[in-house]
Amino acid sequence: MAALPRRIIKETQRLLQEPVPGISAVPDDSNARYFHVIVTGPEDSPFEGGLFKLELFLPEDYPMSAPKVRFITQIYHPNIDRLGRICLDILKDKWSPALQIRTVLLSIQALLSAPNPDDPLANDVAELWKVNEAEAIRNAKEWTRKYAMDN
Amino acid sequence: MEAITAVAQDPESDMDCSDNEGFDDYDYYNATEDNDIEQVDPSKTDPEHFEYECLTEEQVERLLNETVEILSNNLQITPSLAKVLLHSHSWAVTSIISKYRSNPDNLLINSKVKPVTTPSTSSTCSRYMTCPVCVSPQVNERFFSLSCLHSFCKDCWTTHFEVQIGQGISTAISCMARECEVLAPEDFVLKHLSRTTMREKFQQYSFQDYVKSHPELRFCPGPNCQVVVRSRELKAKRSVCCQCKTIFCFKCGMDYHAPTDCLTIKKWLTKCADDSETANYISAHTKDCPNCHICIEKNGGCNHMQCYNCKYDFCWMCLGDWKAHGSEYYECSRYKENPNIAHESVHAQAREALKKYLHYYERWENHSKSLKLEAHTLEKLKARINQKVMSGLGTWIDWQYLFTAAALLAKCRYTLQYTYPYAYYMETGPRKELFEYQQAQLEAEIENLSWKIERAETTDRGDLENQMDIAEKRRTTLLKDFLDV
Repeated sequence: MAALPRRIIKETQRLLQEPVPGISAVPDDSNARYFHVIVTGPEDSPFEGGLFKLELFLPEDYPMSAPKVRFITQIYHPNIDRLGRICLDILKDKWSPALQIRTVLLSIQALLSAPNPDDPLANDVAELWKVNEAEAIRNAKEWTRKYAMDN
Repeated sequence: MEAITAVAQDPESDMDCSDNEGFDDYDYYNATEDNDIEQVDPSKTDPEHFEYECLTEEQVERLLNETVEILSNNLQITPSLAKVLLHSHSWAVTSIISKYRSNPDNLLINSKVKPVTTPSTSSTCSRYMTCPVCVSPQVNERFFSLSCLHSFCKDCWTTHFEVQIGQGISTAISCMARECEVLAPEDFVLKHLSRTTMREKFQQYSFQDYVKSHPELRFCPGPNCQVVVRSRELKAKRSVCCQCKTIFCFKCGMDYHAPTDCLTIKKWLTKCADDSETANYISAHTKDCPNCHICIEKNGGCNHMQCYNCKYDFCWMCLGDWKAHGSEYYECSRYKENPNIAHESVHAQAREALKKYLHYYERWENHSKSLKLEAHTLEKLKARINQKVMSGLGTWIDWQYLFTAAALLAKCRYTLQYTYPYAYYMETGPRKELFEYQQAQLEAEIENLSWKIERAETTDRGDLENQMDIAEKRRTTLLKDFLDV
């Protein structure tokens, strides 16, 4: 494997030295491009109190291509599907090489605070979120308790 | 022939007279003698008339470059910037120029040539800068930026462009900065690409984008065909590639589909792709003779069937007696909607919807199959002619007219096939009745023609040519009334 680009080394150092509040991202021992991520559910959201595990991978042409990010912990959210795939513009067509791991994770945290049912990935969840928001939020809280607490 | 042509034009010239309050009459009577029939404008008499030309890649490039030159000379901008403007404005030079004259900033911002907010010029005293992408400090001379002044190092620009081109992106490559939409023009990209393969790929993809954004140009959809068709008439009309002979609609690039329009045919084809399994299952490839119930496989184009076993004449579509089809109009192509449908249950409505769809689908599919059997029919025709010539019934030259007839039959059948999706999406009413009446007439004449071709003798030539003329007239009449492009 080719040497790790300076950009990745710098980003990793900064992530470990000045971590973002509510987010931890640690590179894997055997692969410096693979990160174990934990995002805490934002306050005043149905995900509050939960600890959500994610995986993040920097592809070969990073930062020219976006990192690949996926939720490992199950989550009830209109923009995240059963497989943990995330519908977020900056991970797709709005990616810019000037964005960083840090900014991507912050955007994901913001997505938890502000779900967007008009641009859904999980259709059934988005549908309920639009028709009956109260029930959708109850479900999200229930899932957070079930999957994102005490483990 | 001439007499019929003249008759067909009568209503048109009548209309012209009334519209122009007699001015045309004056011209008409003063016209020189040798132009009474030849001078007819084909765009008025032939609803499918379409003027277009086939261009090679070099010709298209020349055409595009001429436009680029006009704009770059006029606005005093680089050809590369002119290309960005043309690409984002469908190559409408005059409209770009007038927009530029009225508000240049607006045009340049909307075309993503200039950033929305004017960037602040930050002058650095240091000889070194750190590239925000690769975070390595480098001398200032290695930094480049677009009009937005977001600076990145040369190597990062190169990698960025190579990754984008690898994904097939060319004219839409933007600045690397976050939320910056300023596009990288051609000269900027090429300046940073050193590998020949990458440069070639970039130019090839850009060329494709330019052709696709140019309303007068359309790539021939034929496999591996490089031809570009050009027409100033931006309509859903029939184009034939001069190279590979593919016939397609100029507007959407799909198979030609008159009288149905581009959106409708797309809807219909998607529907057929979704529902075809059911439809295939329901309409099997064989049918039983309605008289003696022997199993019959249709292996030729004509819907007028004669049972080999009992000699009963019937229609393949409706299995009714053929004699009943001959008279005023051809009942078979007309779908009879159940008038009480609104009062039926949902289930019955679904059944009715399926029945309606199957009615049109079966006819669509049937004509499509007949067309696919065309090669086979031609072989049979050749064998038959061969046999006739060998037994002294005329010469090869005498029989050539049959091939012309077969070609016309295919053309008519093709149009007939595309009348079914049109009818399917039509709203019930007098216009639909008229359409289905004309469709039935066309269908009847096509079946007559098909029947006559299959059984022609040398003595029947006049009769057959007459039939050809009638069928083609029915076809153009239907298109004249309903082809709306």
